[in-house]
Amino acid sequence: MKHERGKTENQSSLEFLSRENSFSDHILNNSRSMISVINRDYIYVKVNTTFCKAHRGVADAIIGKSLADVWGKETFTRNIKHNIDRCFSGATVKYEASFNTPQAGKRFFEVIFRPFPSNTGKITYLLAETFDITDLKLTEKIAIEKEEEFKKFETNLPIGFLRCEPDGKIMHVNKAFKLIMDFRNEKSLFSKNLRDYYAEKGIFDMHVEQLSDGKPKSFGRVPLITCSGKEIVCRISGFMTINEEGNPSYIDFAFEDSSRELMLENRLLEAQKLETIGALAGGIAHDFNNILATISGYSELLIEDLPHRSPSSEKVAKIQVAVNKARSLTNQILTFSRQVEQEKVPVSVYEVLKETIGFVKSVAPPSITIRSNYKDKQKYVFADPTQLFRVFLNLITNAIQALEDKKGIITVTLAIEDDKKVRGDINKVIVADEYVVVTFRDTGKGMDQSLIRRIFEPFFTTREIGKGSGLGLSVVHGIVSEMDGAILVSSEKGKGSIFYIYLPVYSEKAGQPEFNGKKRKLLFITGNRHESRILSLALESAGFEMTQSSEIKHFNKILAEPGTRPDLVIYMSDAEQIRIDDMVSSFQKYSITPPCIIISESNQDITEENLVSSGITSQHLVKPVSLKEIETAIQLSIKR
Amino acid sequence: MPGILIVEDNRELREMLKESLTRKRFTVQEADNGKDAIIHFKPGVTDLVVTDIIMPEEDGLKVIMTLREIKPSIKVIAISGGGKAGPASYLNMAKALGADAIYYKPFSVNEMIGKIEELLKIEQS
Repeated sequence: MKHERGKTENQSSLEFLSRENSFSDHILNNSRSMISVINRDYIYVKVNTTFCKAHRGVADAIIGKSLADVWGKETFTRNIKHNIDRCFSGATVKYEASFNTPQAGKRFFEVIFRPFPSNTGKITYLLAETFDITDLKLTEKIAIEKEEEFKKFETNLPIGFLRCEPDGKIMHVNKAFKLIMDFRNEKSLFSKNLRDYYAEKGIFDMHVEQLSDGKPKSFGRVPLITCSGKEIVCRISGFMTINEEGNPSYIDFAFEDSSRELMLENRLLEAQKLETIGALAGGIAHDFNNILATISGYSELLIEDLPHRSPSSEKVAKIQVAVNKARSLTNQILTFSRQVEQEKVPVSVYEVLKETIGFVKSVAPPSITIRSNYKDKQKYVFADPTQLFRVFLNLITNAIQALEDKKGIITVTLAIEDDKKVRGDINKVIVADEYVVVTFRDTGKGMDQSLIRRIFEPFFTTREIGKGSGLGLSVVHGIVSEMDGAILVSSEKGKGSIFYIYLPVYSEKAGQPEFNGKKRKLLFITGNRHESRILSLALESAGFEMTQSSEIKHFNKILAEPGTRPDLVIYMSDAEQIRIDDMVSSFQKYSITPPCIIISESNQDITEENLVSSGITSQHLVKPVSLKEIETAIQLSIKR
Repeated sequence: MPGILIVEDNRELREMLKESLTRKRFTVQEADNGKDAIIHFKPGVTDLVVTDIIMPEEDGLKVIMTLREIKPSIKVIAISGGGKAGPASYLNMAKALGADAIYYKPFSVNEMIGKIEELLKIEQS
């Protein structure tokens, strides 16, 4: 049976072959390639079925036609002819080209021309095989595009990607990783183990251990050290690829730099902390003010009770001085907790800063260089100038104290930044189109992070006990916040610190208010013309005519001339050349009794006995005084 | 002599004010919270009220509003040492409600008496 069947099959094959012209014709016509034979005149002499199908024709219609007719004259001369010529000179030519076919439009082809020598060896024909590779091309193109897309994703995203061996040896990293890690050159990159970038080495091994189950993991924020030694915090996630044998082959990690996010979070926490402390301190200050009001009231009653010039009067006066000091302290606490009313006027930051620096330069030791760089002199902010003076004075004083052996450089700059830049710097609501940015840079001992975190807390001080109230920077913070501004610090241990003050620019034109009638004449007696100049600026804009004097001859000259005699005198206790007694005797000489406002340092006892006995009404303010306090005092004095 | 009502929850401060004003021969009444001040208010006796702002029961702002309603001619002095929002904002509110004078604690009691005399148009002897 087997044999019979075999025989039958052989017979039918033969019959099949005889039905075709030849076996090779069968292959030729069933090939997926377009196959043709071309002669030296570029004319088709034979074409297969595939060729005919692609040209929607029958063989007889194509045979005898030239290639120029079939493919178009231009395509022929540009793409085909020279390849055919090369083939007739004996070479097998292979190339890729796109052609328009009548059946399917534009398609990609791989074309092969093979010389088809005759028996004599002369090449009279060539065999052309054209294979449609459009689908292949398309797949390839998609693959390339996909890869490029992925690459883009990998290079453009600000997420660092890294592949490493299970022991941490780095295999591949993307651009973002290099940026995050501050890479300068490729060599250093691959010479290091990933473990070396972890601030705590053990953490890396712990991560690898956790990844060994082959599941993706997120590790949260991890402290890392960059190539330049900077400490950063990255959100890390990873995935370990495990091979068929169940062994780890490599690990992929993603690194997201969250240092800025962390910084903003910390700042918010700081702000909340200061807010809480402020509320607490404000509450204490409030209760304290009640107690002070009682003490102050009873001491006033006591003075009335005592006989005139009683030896006890002096003691009661001391109680009142103490009350004033305490009041100044509660006032500072309230300033920090932003509960003190501030009288704000448009102020030139440049003017206040210039006067502050002028003052500091006059008292600072010569071994300290104070440089200033004003990039703007025009802009105004809305502030109490005396408070602004305190802010600047405080920061420069702190800078001086940070210098070791009283040697170094303090650089103060004033610049204008637009809101977009400021938005990036501060974590606060932006209230103006422009900000005045004042920076104080010192070459002092610097601070570490733990210290920076606490410097704005009230009563926090690095100085010896008794050498500072620890309120300075907390008050600075309160004043700046009250102005809708911000204060930032950056510092490096051993290199120095920089304080940045951001103040919103006051946009309305700061014009002089108009006053009808005569201006009140105010005389400043002062030893520090810088500080009183700031007050003068503010009071001038409030409508007073200001004169300053720090020297007795000049003072007497002013009093001698009825036209220049003051309506009110503000006496600053630092006026070394004009003491209160001098002032009183000058008044007596010209028989005038202008009301006086005495402003003294909080740690200073001054005797006003002569002033009181001469019948001059006086008010006593203790530094730091605000513009509001002075204005209130002036109004009270004038009313009387 | 004119009558003055002192509304202040801090006892020591209230007593101090009472003594100071009594010395100047004012008729003084006291209340230690806003509610009592309103309940026991005697329009025929009181010409001027000195009131703290932050107090239990009713606050000083309520006192000012109510007493002004009962007796529009009453003079008002508000005093404050601040609270959650700071003395300035409370005292500014008091001013807006028609307080004739405001004082930040601690203040000079003689200065305040001067003001009271001015408000009640009393010639200083």
